[in-house]
Amino acid sequence: MTVIHENMEDASAKIKARDVSVYYGDKKAIDEVSIDISPDYVTAFIGPSGCGKSTFLRCFNRMNDTIASARVTGSIELEGENILDNTMDVVQLRARVGMVFQKPNPFPKSIYDNIAYGPKIHGLAEKKADLDVIVEKSLTRAGLWEEVKDRLSDSGTALSGGQQQRLCIARAIAVDPEVILMDEPASALDPIATAKIEELIDELSGRYAIVIVTHSMQQAARVSQRTAFFHLGKMVEYGPTSDIFTNPIEERTKDYITGRYG
Amino acid sequence: MSSTPLTPDMAVMQASEPPTRTAAFEKRLAKRYRSERNFKALGLGAIGFSIAALIFLLANMLVNGIPGLQRAELAVEIDFAEAGVTGDEVSLTAPSAMQVLELQGLPAVVEIYAERSLGEEGAEQVYRGAWRDVARALADDPALIYGRTTLWLPASSDLASGLNDEGSPEMQALADRLEAEGKLAKNWDWGFFARSDATSPQMAGIWGALKGSILTMLVTFVLAFPIGILSALYLEEYAPKNRWTDLIEVSINNLAAVPSIIFGLLGLAVFLTVFPNLRSTPIIGGMTLALMTMPVIVISGRNAIKAVPPSIRDGALAVGASPVQVVFHHVLPLALPGMLTGTIIGMARALGETAPLILIGMRAFVATPPDGFTAPATVLPMQIFLWSDEIDRGFVERTSATIIVLLLFLLMMNGIAIYLRNKFEKTW
Repeated sequence: MTVIHENMEDASAKIKARDVSVYYGDKKAIDEVSIDISPDYVTAFIGPSGCGKSTFLRCFNRMNDTIASARVTGSIELEGENILDNTMDVVQLRARVGMVFQKPNPFPKSIYDNIAYGPKIHGLAEKKADLDVIVEKSLTRAGLWEEVKDRLSDSGTALSGGQQQRLCIARAIAVDPEVILMDEPASALDPIATAKIEELIDELSGRYAIVIVTHSMQQAARVSQRTAFFHLGKMVEYGPTSDIFTNPIEERTKDYITGRYG
Repeated sequence: MSSTPLTPDMAVMQASEPPTRTAAFEKRLAKRYRSERNFKALGLGAIGFSIAALIFLLANMLVNGIPGLQRAELAVEIDFAEAGVTGDEVSLTAPSAMQVLELQGLPAVVEIYAERSLGEEGAEQVYRGAWRDVARALADDPALIYGRTTLWLPASSDLASGLNDEGSPEMQALADRLEAEGKLAKNWDWGFFARSDATSPQMAGIWGALKGSILTMLVTFVLAFPIGILSALYLEEYAPKNRWTDLIEVSINNLAAVPSIIFGLLGLAVFLTVFPNLRSTPIIGGMTLALMTMPVIVISGRNAIKAVPPSIRDGALAVGASPVQVVFHHVLPLALPGMLTGTIIGMARALGETAPLILIGMRAFVATPPDGFTAPATVLPMQIFLWSDEIDRGFVERTSATIIVLLLFLLMMNGIAIYLRNKFEKTW
């Protein structure tokens, strides 16, 4: 029932999810999804509202742990290690798999402290000078350095929405993760800020494995090289983005990308 | 439609305005505005009434309380050199000065000079312990001992009521005569803030009660604040949601609604059984009030924690903060203003509490300020309660003055709460 295009089974995959199901209480939100996430590409999850794409994304850094009724079965291997195992250290996992949320959520602290927080708690910098370097590097990579370098002590919440979201991306890359999860990172932003975020995703791809959940098919087409289409808790089709948009195999995928529902 | 012949009904339809521009609509609109105005007026009236009641209360307190900050005093001229009272800067300021002066016959000297200044009748109305005030005046300014000086000494409470045109006609006449001679007057009584309870309103002060209140509040804060905040944090952040935590939550909410006198009974039954020697002390009073304050702190603390947006928590978790780091780096700093406000409001309630303290014996007559947490003490509202029971008119004024002090104390605590909230409040 899941259609997976050719050459999508990837031996070098960063993340291998097998038969992952997520339950909220008795309700099954994700039904036996298996997917390989490549380290070299941006992977987009698309699908109508409530199809479970965000829920599935939150499995990759175990953010579903914070929801008391949520239960995850199956296995998700990050470089061969099953992150759903009880022995997996969640704190370490989240240092390896960063996340950017739908609504920009900078800490109500200074811009500097927002970036420095992750490296500080993980002990990644020994001296203040090291920390300064990390902050500058992260902000530069997030394309924010030029805009904020003179006001690093201002509150992160004083920035504009687009700048806040780039600050959150900088915060995620400050701990140098292997994977960055983005949960509709541009849905609360205006078109110009959205374009900047998309440009940024492009620049970051290759350095980090990026998984992005998006509502906008155009966005998926613009930023991703791999696309997975979700519907009613199931992964319907997974393949190279160009194929999914030009040559979908499944009828439901075709209906969705041509705007018949969703 | 234009092609069909017009029936009378349809003609009306055609001629009439769109439904939002008819007279009936405008009438309804006017009615809506009217009901809004009425509602506004009602609200304003309610606020006006409460402000009027507050102003009346405060004005009443001030009018009654200001005489309570004054006392009737008699002018007595004393020539220490002539009387043979001797001393110097060292001996007069030494702790033993009081006894030394008593041995030199200061009480008799004061009586003699009072008779000279005020006549026999007047001298009888000088407060009997007034020589102690003289000794204190000498300690404050030892140079007085070399010459002649006029000191204002407290009058007896009979003469004080005479000055207020009350009491026996003879006293009123005497008071009028001495006042006319400029030898009897109502002076500001700063000593009111330095003395403790006394049998005469002329000598009564509130320092003992104020100090008792401060000590009791300290005990309450030290016990209730950490326990309350930690309970709130645990219940909100760590406790699993099950039947037991539901039970605890309901119990805490109920505890906050329990009449305060019940806590007094608990203090009596538990604390005084365990520590029978600590009756009437600030430590037991503070423990009892802490029981009462803690639920308030837990409830306000939990609300403050709930108000921290989940997105901040998610953000911190997503960069790999451990649960305890999320709490101490993000949740607590954001929730602290709300927690502090709740704490101070709970403390203010405890400060004004009398009922539970009656039961643990803090209504005793305590004439010396408590010198520690385990010394018998009374508190401000209890002092008000005790004095309001007295027959002597002077105590009524003292009661009002004490109420003003208590209100100022409460105002100050609320001021601190508002200041802390504004200082630490962050926006996101």
